[in-house]
Amino acid sequence: MTTISLDNIKYKAEIRQKTAKPLLWIGLISIVMFFAGLTSALIVSKSNSIWIKLEVPSMFFISTILILFSSLTYQLSMSFTKNNQLKFATITTILTFVLGISFTVTQFYAWQQLYQSGIFWAGEQSNPSGSYFYALTALHLLHLFAGLISLLVVVTKSLLKKYSPTNVLGIQLSLTYWHFLTALWVYLFFFLKFIA
Amino acid sequence: MIALVAIVAVLLVIATAVQILKIAELRATESGKEIYEISAKQSKAQAFLLMVFLVAYFGFFAWQVWKWGGLMLPVSASEHGVGVDELMNITLWFIIPVFIITHIFLFWFSYKYSFSETRKALFFSHSNKLEMFWTIIPSVALTVLILVGLSNWNKIMTPISSETEHVLLEVCGQQFMWGARYAGKDGKLGRASVEYIEGVNALGIDVSDENSKDDKIVKGEFHLPVGVPVQFVFRSQDVLHSAYMPHFRAQMNCVPGLKTQFNFTPTITTAEMKEKTQNENFEYILLCNKICGAAHYNMQMNIVVESKEDYEKWLAEQKEFGAE
Amino acid sequence: MSAHQHPHEEQDFLFKYVFSQDHKMISKQFLITGFIMGFIGLSMSTLFRLQLGFPGESFWIIDFLLGSWAENGVMLPDKYLALVTMHGTIMVFFLLTAGLSGTFSNLLIPLQIGARDMASGFLNMLSYWFFFVSSVIMLISLGVEGGAASAGWTIYPPLSALPQAIPGSGLGMTLWLVAMAIFIASSLLGSLNYIVTILNLRTKGMTMTRLPLTIWSFLITAIVGVISFPVLLAAALLLVFDRSFGTSFYLSDIYIGGQVLEHSGGSPILFEHLFWFLGHPEVYIVLLPALGITSEIVSTMSRKPIFGYRAMITSMLAIGFLSAIVWGHHMFVTGMNPFLGAVFTFTTLLIAIPSAVKVFNYITTLWKGNIKFSPAMLFSIGLVSTFISGGLTGLILGDSALDINVHDTYFVVGHFHIVMGLSGIFGMIAGVYHWFPKIFGRMLNNNLGNAHFWITIVSSYGIFFPMHFLGLAGVPRRYYTNSEFPLFENLLDINTLITWFAILAFAGQLIFFFNFVYSALRGPKAPQNPWKGNSLEWTTGVKHIHGNWPGEIPTVHRWPYDYSKLNENGDYVTGEDFIPQIVPLGEGELDGGGH
Ligand code: HEM
Ligand SMILES: [Cu+2]
Ligand SMILES: [Cu+2]
Repeated sequence: MTTISLDNIKYKAEIRQKTAKPLLWIGLISIVMFFAGLTSALIVSKSNSIWIKLEVPSMFFISTILILFSSLTYQLSMSFTKNNQLKFATITTILTFVLGISFTVTQFYAWQQLYQSGIFWAGEQSNPSGSYFYALTALHLLHLFAGLISLLVVVTKSLLKKYSPTNVLGIQLSLTYWHFLTALWVYLFFFLKFIA
Repeated sequence: MIALVAIVAVLLVIATAVQILKIAELRATESGKEIYEISAKQSKAQAFLLMVFLVAYFGFFAWQVWKWGGLMLPVSASEHGVGVDELMNITLWFIIPVFIITHIFLFWFSYKYSFSETRKALFFSHSNKLEMFWTIIPSVALTVLILVGLSNWNKIMTPISSETEHVLLEVCGQQFMWGARYAGKDGKLGRASVEYIEGVNALGIDVSDENSKDDKIVKGEFHLPVGVPVQFVFRSQDVLHSAYMPHFRAQMNCVPGLKTQFNFTPTITTAEMKEKTQNENFEYILLCNKICGAAHYNMQMNIVVESKEDYEKWLAEQKEFGAE
Repeated sequence: MSAHQHPHEEQDFLFKYVFSQDHKMISKQFLITGFIMGFIGLSMSTLFRLQLGFPGESFWIIDFLLGSWAENGVMLPDKYLALVTMHGTIMVFFLLTAGLSGTFSNLLIPLQIGARDMASGFLNMLSYWFFFVSSVIMLISLGVEGGAASAGWTIYPPLSALPQAIPGSGLGMTLWLVAMAIFIASSLLGSLNYIVTILNLRTKGMTMTRLPLTIWSFLITAIVGVISFPVLLAAALLLVFDRSFGTSFYLSDIYIGGQVLEHSGGSPILFEHLFWFLGHPEVYIVLLPALGITSEIVSTMSRKPIFGYRAMITSMLAIGFLSAIVWGHHMFVTGMNPFLGAVFTFTTLLIAIPSAVKVFNYITTLWKGNIKFSPAMLFSIGLVSTFISGGLTGLILGDSALDINVHDTYFVVGHFHIVMGLSGIFGMIAGVYHWFPKIFGRMLNNNLGNAHFWITIVSSYGIFFPMHFLGLAGVPRRYYTNSEFPLFENLLDINTLITWFAILAFAGQLIFFFNFVYSALRGPKAPQNPWKGNSLEWTTGVKHIHGNWPGEIPTVHRWPYDYSKLNENGDYVTGEDFIPQIVPLGEGELDGGGH
């Protein structure tokens, strides 16, 4: 009879195969609850008399398009890997990363737009309605940084040719998270546009 | 020095306890048993203690009611409070029997079925009938409680209609005192905001507002006419406070940036209550019931309930805000 | 079959004891850290009880322990609030959330479902270390300028947002928030692991309806935690923004320290909503594991199947679900819409139904049992008693019309200590007595255990029962002293009595700590299955090994409650009064309580 030991690499990999995705999914649920808490906070605050309705800065439209594209390219990279077209896969992953960075940049531009139109994050002239704009988008961006880091890892590993059509778990996890970030952003975008 | 003695004493106690445990273990092993094994006799002893505890627990409950029952809040001094007290009694009549019966079963079974070498436990894993039964019974009882409770709640929370004669009174909390302001002849409270706080204008009343001219600010205590509904408006200037008037079964938080409301009709004058409680020094009181800082424990204002005539006389003596 | 062999048997001390990824070691770490925090929280309550029982009297010990927080042996009013706040925070989060769930989820999940370890040992280790760091920061906050956080464990703004309002809202509150943010991360990492492990790593045959109730309770607790803790994080984050960056989520129209603050447009009520969306489920995060642990113990020690296994699961699911929609009962007197108040009354009282079912099922499990009173069993009976005693007064507090007059009084303090504090503690201690042999491989001393139980239950009812009377006399909570009001003049006796019981309770816990330390080091060696239990953890060896079972993980064939099952002849099926889960079903034998 063979001994199954925890130090057995194969056993560890097996456990990882089995549990990595569920771990990620439940993590995502907790992030959803985090943003659900914040957006319901906004709804509660909105009933306050001095709530000001704000226009979403135009930059947010561009960032929305960028992040949607990045999801698409990342998905493509996944199919390339599965079809063993590893070169294309690497290129599309890098493209995704670049799109992610551009998204970040547009966010900063959007905040600048907000600031220039007299909507402040904090201080005497600020209003919670404006602060929510900054807070929600910044917290999303914070989560996006984690996504960017995971992308960096995937990029490095694919440059090192670590992936193969049967070994895609790492990409899969990062991809799921990235799609999640996109969905979260789209939700926040529409929420800010129509509810706030 | 004391500390040293204390430390030595503690160490000695621990050392003794260790020795005692060791001896006990040895004796157990000699008699061919493990010390951690629980014999039928030991189980029985604990079961017996459980019964003793049951009796003591009930006894303690009864003793407290007997000893302290008289220290509880006196009868409600407001109209809706009578309903609240009734609801409380109904609830108590429900929960005390449940408390007693479940405890009797819990401890009696523990005692009765304490371990014996010869008995076999009954393999009894579920019974839909029983479980149905004790899902439905509490549901029915709770429905009654909910219905009575909510009918009271709705009555209490209905604001006074503007047509009925009433007193309009604003209570404002700040660290660590209360301010009260009557609406005056026009029956309207002038605008107030923290921006206007300055010098003597501690409540931050807008001087330029016509409605504020006849408002009357009082300190230390405020008076209420018996039998007339009082509409309270609550504010806070700094942190959360809670205006708690236990004798009237009334409480509402004071929230900075928000006006909250409560209303009740006092039914017993201070003088009458002095008689009822046989306490010469009895006073109605408004106290703070939301943690608000270091002196939260001492933030109070007296309330005097008196006849309408006395109340009007007292109010007439108070200065109007605009007169200053 | 060769026993389990590692290529590198000699692990570094550092990796074995400190950065261990083994669930059993992590469980021990949680237990010991939790107990240390609990001891600190307990000591704090004893100290401020001295002030309440003997207001204004000078105590040597207060001077000695509190230093600059006291003057002439009397604690200062704002430091009283700091102690109360830290006591509440430590007890609820550090002892009864991390200490309780962290210890027993980690210990029992892999052992009882038949897994070699948690889904991710690494995340599990992080979970502990976040908890540890968070504990350390929380303790450091006791020593900073201005004192520890003093706004109550509920940290309602504006009090918690403004250092001008109370000194503890300065650096002390900042550290509180940092510590709690890290704590939440720890709790989430733990919960992730618990859920995934239970759902994905059960051994062969271990279906969901063969899981011990402990595992069900940990699962539901973890789910409730994953759903509610992030919302607390959101609430805390907005508070941090208000405090440190000058936003106005919670603040508006404030005049303090002689000036009007810039903040405008926010509302403290918003914080209350967000806080209690966690705050109430938190009560069940404390309670559910205690209920799971004691269900297991009551069944094992009564030598009977737990009565109504499925009903027990259903009630826990119902409680878990309802706990998320009752938070408004903490806010009846905040000026909330009366209709909303009515809805919350309704949902709150609904919780009484599954709770009642649980109580009746416990009691029926005892009926016609053959009960061995180990200390664990005594504490379990104690839990049923506290769950009843404290749960019933919940019917008063949950009824909005009644809550108006008892809200925030000592009635509440009495209620939640009994139903959450005592039940949580009793469940946790019962678990420690029961699984001590599994944790340390040694047995606790029963006589000391019994003494501990009796002192604890007598003193805790002595502390918390009279508090209801204080509440009905109108005494608000979080009062430094009741001596400022003629109204409360006659109540000093009650307070003094409570304090004496508090001292007794403290002394009783010393017995336990002695027993714990002594037995962990010197106690008699434990047999493999001291309580003759059915569940899988008793099939593992006394000595801990990495991976739990040396060979294959055993397959499970039946539910864990086949105690005293008889065959047609009226004999025990296996000759003993219990049938472990690894024993295959006999011919024609039904699983799950069927005969
Ligand atoms: C012997 C043990 C204990 C004693 C004597 C004790 C005593 C007290 C007292 C008197 C208060 C109210 C203080 C005040 O409002 O001024 C209090 C508050 C509190 N206690 Fe305990 N307690 C004990 C154990 C526990 C346990 C086990 C828990 C766990 C849930 C707990 C949780 C709390 C909480 C959450 C508060 C509220 C803190 C606040 O108001 O912010 N306590 N305790
Ligand atoms: Cu206060
Ligand atoms: Cu609650």
